[in-house]
Amino acid sequence: MDNINFYYLEDATLSNLNRIFNSADIPFIRLSKFLNEAPNMIESELVSEEKIGYYNHKIGDALLAKFWDSSEFKDFLCKATGLKPTFRNSNHVSYSPGDYSLLHMDESESSRLLVVYDLTKEWRHEWGGYDLYTSPDKDPLVCNRDFGSLMIVKLNSGDLSCTRYVSLKSQFSAHLDRIIYDLE
Amino acid sequence: MRKAEKISIVKEFPYPHVIIKDFLDENTLDLVIDALAGLEYDFKESDLFSYWASIELTDIDHPAINILREDLGDEVWRKKVAEAFSCKMLSSIDMAAYVYGLGDFLLPHDDQVEERIIAYSLHLTPEITEDMGGSLQIFDVDETNSSKIIDSIIPEYNSLIMFEVSKHSWHQVGEILQDIQRLTVTGWYHG
Repeated sequence: MDNINFYYLEDATLSNLNRIFNSADIPFIRLSKFLNEAPNMIESELVSEEKIGYYNHKIGDALLAKFWDSSEFKDFLCKATGLKPTFRNSNHVSYSPGDYSLLHMDESESSRLLVVYDLTKEWRHEWGGYDLYTSPDKDPLVCNRDFGSLMIVKLNSGDLSCTRYVSLKSQFSAHLDRIIYDLE
Repeated sequence: MRKAEKISIVKEFPYPHVIIKDFLDENTLDLVIDALAGLEYDFKESDLFSYWASIELTDIDHPAINILREDLGDEVWRKKVAEAFSCKMLSSIDMAAYVYGLGDFLLPHDDQVEERIIAYSLHLTPEITEDMGGSLQIFDVDETNSSKIIDSIIPEYNSLIMFEVSKHSWHQVGEILQDIQRLTVTGWYHG
């Protein structure tokens, strides 16, 4: 628990997060400065992964793999969302200039809780690389890159997500830990 | 009117495609560009693309657009296209104009929709160079769905690019990197 910003562990904050999460069109909360200390990047352990027309990025083990599957973090998730998520997997994903993922890569997905921890430094909005969530008959949700922020979004079967194409003019890569939890 | 009446040899790898230079005569070219400049374009954006598109040009009654539609889609030309690609007779075309500005792009896709046989794109941007972006990039895709750019075709002024639509016809329009307007008339020959 030492890693999580103490503010997010207070009962009043958790109660507020739960209310905000469950009142959003697409259930979503974004928590800036979520951890007291962000981990160091180890890009050399990432490998390129492409399925043309679906995604093109680099992928590896989540930098905080153990933490995302810890009882401490899952307990926090339960309190913040009111859900009972079951850990499925975690990855570190990097989007370099020209990389992308498309919405239809999620087409076969079931109900899930998606958690993204942003490790992208010095980003500009015009470089793209933001996360996009869509749900039928609801306005899409755009989530810009923001170093140190944790995003939690509940997606049902039929809801889609992707990371927008990163401009060739980008001087850096977008980095994120991406964790999926199954929902009953 | 059409200036080019001959289709050069179709390259077969990684899928059949061909580039025809100097497709229209200069007078027609000027009239067509003037007509396209007078159209309205809507900004279209999705996870796959970002560009400005005109309305469908197939049904517009405009002298220059009518000539262009004939030049790209009359029976004589359709027969030549079908012969060049060794495909069945082509029945019709559709067409629309697209403008790509700074930062616009079209990510990899294969164009596969029922009845599309041959894709075409007539390029109408003067003095475009590789460093401006906007090249049409042709991929070879292996059995693991990994891709390799085989050809990066600079969309030269008044050049017509055509390729056969299939599960192999992966291509993209590279991001526009300078403040230009990449103008094309694009569509498909149908079976």
